[in-house]
Amino acid sequence: MNFLSREATVAEPGFNRWLVPPAAIAVHICIGEVYGFSVFNVPLTQAGAGWTIPQVGWVYSIALVMLGMSAALFGKWVERSGPRKTMVVSCACFCGGLLISALGVKLKSLWMVYLGYGFLGGIGLGLGYISPVSTLIKWFPDRPGMATGMAIMGFGGGALIGAPLGVKLMDHFKTATSVGVAEAFLVMAILYAISMLFGAGLVRVPPDGWSPAAWEPGQHRKPMMTNAQVGVDRAWKTPQFWCLWIVLCMNVSAGIGILGQASKMCSDMFGVSAAVGGGFAGLLSIFNMGGRFFWSSISDLTGRKTVYSIYFLLGAILYCAVPWTQSTQNRTLFVIVTAIIITMYGGGFATIPAYLRDLFGTYQIGAIHGRLITAWSVAAIVGPSLVNYISTAKIDAGVPRAEAYNSTMYLMAGLLIVGLVANLLVRPVDPKYHFTESPKDQNR
Amino acid sequence: MKKILLAIAWAWVTIPLGWGVYQSVQKSMPLFSQPPTPAEASR
Repeated sequence: MNFLSREATVAEPGFNRWLVPPAAIAVHICIGEVYGFSVFNVPLTQAGAGWTIPQVGWVYSIALVMLGMSAALFGKWVERSGPRKTMVVSCACFCGGLLISALGVKLKSLWMVYLGYGFLGGIGLGLGYISPVSTLIKWFPDRPGMATGMAIMGFGGGALIGAPLGVKLMDHFKTATSVGVAEAFLVMAILYAISMLFGAGLVRVPPDGWSPAAWEPGQHRKPMMTNAQVGVDRAWKTPQFWCLWIVLCMNVSAGIGILGQASKMCSDMFGVSAAVGGGFAGLLSIFNMGGRFFWSSISDLTGRKTVYSIYFLLGAILYCAVPWTQSTQNRTLFVIVTAIIITMYGGGFATIPAYLRDLFGTYQIGAIHGRLITAWSVAAIVGPSLVNYISTAKIDAGVPRAEAYNSTMYLMAGLLIVGLVANLLVRPVDPKYHFTESPKDQNR
Repeated sequence: MKKILLAIAWAWVTIPLGWGVYQSVQKSMPLFSQPPTPAEASR
């Protein structure tokens, strides 16, 4: 087990820090497959077990709830154990979950799919998601936004790979008696295990006191950045933590409301076919991925507070512009507006670890990030529910289908304004929360 | 040797990501090439 310990992952002299981002991305592109899980929904209902779409939809919901819970509960363990052990455990949970789900499909047991992909896979998602964050921030103290943005970009890109891969595998294994889901899960478990273990083998933590050549702490320091350290048990008692929780929750609720309904929304608003709507959803996924790298890198230059203010202000304006693109039936403008919105949704995810680093230091950044991710789990339920509920209520009330989303867009703009207020309330952490002695004393 | 490892590591992640982007772009092409809707045509 020594190979997995934190001590075994300390980098040897001359190690190239640019090997760490691909190690993190190799894990994130696998677990990001959860975003593309919807390609299995219809095939699962055709697996011969009589499952319905709402029943199958719970697999994704359980996985996302478990993602937030496991990240929150195991964050301190992740910090203690180091990135390699965490990545291996994440691999065991996520790929093991896929294998159990494959068996569940074969045995026609929906509970096994819930347990496999939802519960166990969800734990793998949470562990894998936070595993490289603190390591990347320590390797790139000069560019923490860009570094974590790269990894989290991989998570956004996971759907781009997972969705078409799942479809191609199901097509390949489809027979007269099988839709090929179980076999697809099995092959994906093997492929993803190889990639995640590659990342785990590659990852290294920097030696104590390491810093990049020609870089000194304090150089290019922004007003909100601290040299102090705050442990996770104190961090989540600060108002700053809860301001950022609201920031993340509002940003994700608004973005996921569009992303989750993109295909249907495009079809309803512009009268295009379901296939074209599906293409639009895929296009948004590219911008979701690109925005994660672009905006988090920008935040290294502007500071996090500024970049979040841009997300919220520009986002609110663009949400209000969506109904106008529908009323003028300007499809190209609609695509441009929603694409920019989605880049900022992705950017919100990718910039949050660096924001936490600025406020709380690096000591337990992974654990603090883990607790903040509960905002994502809440938003994953709130965002799509709001869009579904309001658009359905409007259609039932006689509003034309094409205009049914207008109120939702204004509501999303309102959520972003709430996020903007929370962001503007963020101030440097009160020194009473900082370490006064050694970090270990604080967490006794 | 270190440069080769670096190249392999980046290829390991950029090739599948590039494949995924290509698949999505291909799928989204009809969005821009589909004949205009009646409302668009009347503008």
